[in-house]
Amino acid sequence: MYSQVPHSYPKKTQFPLGDLTAILVLGFFLFGSVELARNWTAAYQPSIQIDLSERALPLYAVYSLFRALIAYVASLGFTLIFGYWAAKSRRAERVILPLLDVGQSIPVLGFLPTLVLGLISVFPHSNFGLELACILMIFTGQVWNMTFSYYASLKSIPNHFHELSRNVRLTPIQRLFDIELPFASSGLAWNSLMSMAGGWFFLTICEAFTLGDRQYRLLGLGSYMATAIEVGNTRAILYGLSAMVAVILFMDFIVWRPVIAWTRRFRLDEQNEQVQNIPFIQMLLKESRLVRVLEKYIHSAIAQIETLSTHLFKPRKRRRTGLLLRRFRHRWISLFRYTPSLNHLSWVPVLGLGLWILMKLAILIHALKAPEIILILQSAGYTFLRVLGALVLSTLWTVPFGIWVGLSPKRTRFFQPIIQVAASFPAPMLYPIVLFGLSALGVGLGVGASILMLLGVQWYILFNVLAGATLISRELRETFYLFRSPLKQRLFDLYLPSIFPSLVTGWITASGGAWNASIVAEYIQYHGQTLRTVGLGALISQSTSDGNFPLLAGALIAMVSMVLVLNRTIWRRAQVLCERKFRFER
Amino acid sequence: MQTLKPAIEMKNIQQSFHLDTGRKIKVLDDVNMTVHQGEVLVLLGPSGSGKSTCLRILTGLLKPSHGKVFLDGKPLHQSNPDTALVFQSFALLPWKNVAANVATGIKPLGLTKEEVSSRVKKAIDLVGLEGFEEAYPKEHTGGMKQRVGIARALVMERPILCLDEPFSALDVLTAETLRKEVLNLWLSKKTAIKAIVLVTHNITEAVSMGSRILVVGSGKVRFSIRNDLNYPRDEKSSAFKNLVDNMHDLLTETIIPDTADWIPPALASNTIESLPHVSITEVDGFLEVIGQEDGKRADAFLLAKKLMKDSVQVLILAKAAELLDLVDTPKNQVVLTDLGKAFVSSDVNEKKKIVHRQMKQLRLTQLIHEKLLSVPDQTLPRSEVIQDLSDWLPNENPERVLDTLLQWGRYGELFGYNADTMQVYIDNETPST
Repeated sequence: MYSQVPHSYPKKTQFPLGDLTAILVLGFFLFGSVELARNWTAAYQPSIQIDLSERALPLYAVYSLFRALIAYVASLGFTLIFGYWAAKSRRAERVILPLLDVGQSIPVLGFLPTLVLGLISVFPHSNFGLELACILMIFTGQVWNMTFSYYASLKSIPNHFHELSRNVRLTPIQRLFDIELPFASSGLAWNSLMSMAGGWFFLTICEAFTLGDRQYRLLGLGSYMATAIEVGNTRAILYGLSAMVAVILFMDFIVWRPVIAWTRRFRLDEQNEQVQNIPFIQMLLKESRLVRVLEKYIHSAIAQIETLSTHLFKPRKRRRTGLLLRRFRHRWISLFRYTPSLNHLSWVPVLGLGLWILMKLAILIHALKAPEIILILQSAGYTFLRVLGALVLSTLWTVPFGIWVGLSPKRTRFFQPIIQVAASFPAPMLYPIVLFGLSALGVGLGVGASILMLLGVQWYILFNVLAGATLISRELRETFYLFRSPLKQRLFDLYLPSIFPSLVTGWITASGGAWNASIVAEYIQYHGQTLRTVGLGALISQSTSDGNFPLLAGALIAMVSMVLVLNRTIWRRAQVLCERKFRFER
Repeated sequence: MQTLKPAIEMKNIQQSFHLDTGRKIKVLDDVNMTVHQGEVLVLLGPSGSGKSTCLRILTGLLKPSHGKVFLDGKPLHQSNPDTALVFQSFALLPWKNVAANVATGIKPLGLTKEEVSSRVKKAIDLVGLEGFEEAYPKEHTGGMKQRVGIARALVMERPILCLDEPFSALDVLTAETLRKEVLNLWLSKKTAIKAIVLVTHNITEAVSMGSRILVVGSGKVRFSIRNDLNYPRDEKSSAFKNLVDNMHDLLTETIIPDTADWIPPALASNTIESLPHVSITEVDGFLEVIGQEDGKRADAFLLAKKLMKDSVQVLILAKAAELLDLVDTPKNQVVLTDLGKAFVSSDVNEKKKIVHRQMKQLRLTQLIHEKLLSVPDQTLPRSEVIQDLSDWLPNENPERVLDTLLQWGRYGELFGYNADTMQVYIDNETPST
C-alpha cells in the first residue's frame, strides 16, 4: 500500500558532500566532549592562568560551547519532566509555576555561593566540582522560559486530541511521542534558541568570579573575556568578541536554524504554510545517507519504545494480576483517595524544604543591621530608576524600528536573522567598549548603567514589537491607505494600539532581564579598577565578592520581591487590560 | 429487529458543570438510554441540549456527576473499550499522513507491522481513500479529512461507532455524500460495527439514518421514536416527508412548548423566561422574510431551507420573536402578529420603540430594571448582574443570557453597558423619534 517511489533520486555527483558534513559535525561534537572531559578530570588548580593570546581562543571557545550545551541538555531534561508534571497535575502546577517564577527572577549570583562552595567540597581534588557549578549556573540562565513554554504548549493542545487519545486508549508514552511532543516542539525550539542566548549572558561571571577571599577561574571564552576586560587588553577583547560571534553564528547555522525549520512541520495552523527557504545545512544533511540511516534508527527506536509501552500499560481488563494483589492495590489507592490527611502528606516534603530555606534565610538576614537595610532599600530605588530608564530608552527606538520592519514581509525576512544573532550576543562582553564611549561623552556609571542594561534587554522588546507589527490587520492597513491618512494618524490610531499587547509582554520580559542585568551593569572590573555605582546589582556583586552572605541574601530577596511584585501588580494588570481593549479578534 | 440485545445502558445520568463564576449549571438531568445491537441510534436536539455530553458519557470520556454507564451489564469505569469516536472537527494530526493517522487507532494494541498495515489498508479501502495513503491532512478537503476520521474509527474494529456531529463541518453536498457512504458501510455489514450512535441537530439527517431517534432537550430525553422505514430511504417519498414533519413538530414542542396551559412568558408574572441566544438584528431579518411571504406566515421548515439555516436555528429565532409577541407559532407555522406586521413596516427608530416596549414586559427585564433602580447611579457591575441571573435562571449560562440581554437592551435603548468599567446601567433616554 505504501508506494515506494523515492522522493528524490540520488544526485548525479558522486561526491558525498552531505555525508562529509554530517561526519564533520559529529566529529566536532565528539572532539569537544573529549576535550572537556579531559579538562574535568584534571587536578584542581585554585588559580588558573588565562592565556590571552589568540591561539588559545579556539579551544576556550569549544570549552564554553560545551559547557553551554551540557547545561542545555540538563535544561531540556528539567523542562520535559517539570513542564509535563505541571501541565498534568493540578497540585504540581500550584507548586511548580510559582517556583519557576521565583527562579527566573533570581540573578545568577544568587545561586553561585551555594553551588560553588557545595560542589567544591564534594569534589575537592579535581576540577569537576567547579565545572559542575559553572554548568549549573549557565543552566539557571537557560531553563525557566523553556519550561514555561513546554508547559504552555501542553496546556494549549485542543481538547479533541485529548479525547482522541483516551478513546483510542493511547499509552502515556504513545501520547507523548504522537501528540504532546510534536505539539510542543515548535515553541520548544524557539525557546531553546532564546535559552542559549540567556545562558551566554552571564558567561563572564560563570567562568570567572571572586567569592570571599578566593578567585575562581575555568578555562573558557567567558574567563578569557573577563581577564581581558580586567587588564584592559583591547586586542584580546576584540579577539574574544569575534570568537563569541563565531560561536553564536556556528550554533545558529548548524543547530537552531535547521531545528526550527524542522519543527515547522509540527505546526497546527495549516494556512500559515508559506514556502520558506530551507536552511542550507539542512539541505546538505538531507542528502546524507548517514543522517538518513540515523533518522531511521531513531524512528524505529521510538516505535520500539511505543510498542513496549503497550505491554506496560495494558488495559485493566486483560491484566492478570493476582486477586490478592489487586485487592491490595485497590485498598491502597482508596486509602489515598479517601483519606485527606494521607493525601496531604505529599505536601510535607515540599513544605518542609520551603520552611528550611526560609529559616536559613531568616537566620542570615537576622544579622543585617539597620543601616544595611536602608542601604538595600536605597539601592533598590536607584536600580528601579535605571530599569525604568532602560525600558524607556529601548522602547523609544525599538517601537518605530519594529513597526517599520514588521509592516513589510521583505524587511522582516531580511532583519529577523540579524536581530536573532545580535540578541544572542552576551551584552556584558560589550560593556568595556560602551563604557569607553560613555566616559568620552562624560556620562558616569550612575546613568551609564542604564545604557548597559539596555544593551541586553532591548531585544526582548524589539522581538515582541516585531511580532505584533506582523499581525496588524491587513484590511485596516488598506482602509487607512484608502483614507490617505497621514503617518501620525496611522501611528496613533492603528499601529500603536495594535502592537500594544505585544509591547507589554516585551516590557515584562525586559524588566525582569534588566533587574538581573544590573549585577553586571552596576559593578564592572575594568582595566585594573572596579567601577561601581549605588544600586541593588552592585550590592549583590559586591557582597558576593566580599563573601558578605547576609547582605547578599538581603539584596537578593529585595530583587526577587521587586521583580515579582512589579510583575504581579503593574505588569499583569496592564496585560489583562490591553488584552481586552486592543486585541484583534481572530 | 424486535428483541435487540442491549450493548450499552446509561442509567439515571446527571451531569453538572462548574462555571468560572463558581456556579453550577446542570446539563443532563436524569437521562436513561440504551444502545442496542443492530440499531442506528440518533440523538437529535438543538445546540446546548446536552446531546454531545450524552455521547461523551457514553464513550467514557466524561464521568457523570450521578448515575452509571453499563457495558454488557458491568459498570464502566474508564474510557469505553467498545466505542470508536468520530469527531466533528476531525482531530487529525497534521504531521502524520493518512495511513499513519489511521494507524493511530490501533497503536495501543501493540500489533506487528504486518498486522497494522493490513488493518489500515482494509479501513482505508472501506472509506475509499486508496491512493491517498501518503497524503497529509492539509492536502485534503473537509470531506476527505472526515473519511480519514471514519477510517481511524473503523480500524479499531470496535462494535459501536459513535459519530459526534460528523457532517456539520462539511458543505451540504459533501455531507450528503458522506452520510450515504456511512449508511452503505453499515448496511453492507463488511465491518465489525454492531451499532451506530449519531449526534446531530439536522432532522433530515436523523430521519434518513436513524432506526431510533431520541429527541433531547434541556438535558432530558424528551421523545423516543422508532423509524422502521426501509433503507435506503427516499427523501422524496411521502412516508419520509411525513416523518420529517412529525419530527419537526416534536422538536418544536421541545423548544417552544405549545400546550394549552402554556402562557406566553410576556404575560406570566412569576415565571422567568430566559432569552434565546440570537441577535436582535437576526430576529429583524427573520421577520422581514416572513413579511414577504403570502399571508405573512411561513412554514418553519421551509423557511429553514430558504434561509439556508438549520431548522433548529429557525425555531430558536421564532422563539425569540414570539417572546416579543411579534409572531405566533401554531404547530410548525410562523405567523406575524399585528404587532409583527407593524414592526416590519416601520423604520429603524420605530422598531427600536417596539422592542423597547415589548422588552419592558419581560419578567427578566423587569427584574433587572428594578435591581438597577434600587442602587445609586442606577449602575451595577457586570459580575453582580451575572450573579443575579444565575440565581434567577439556574439552568442557563448567565454569561450568554447577559450578552443577549445587553444586545437586545442596547437596541431597545433600555440598558447600556460600559465595556471598560464592565458596568450595566439604565439607558434613561427614551428612544428618539
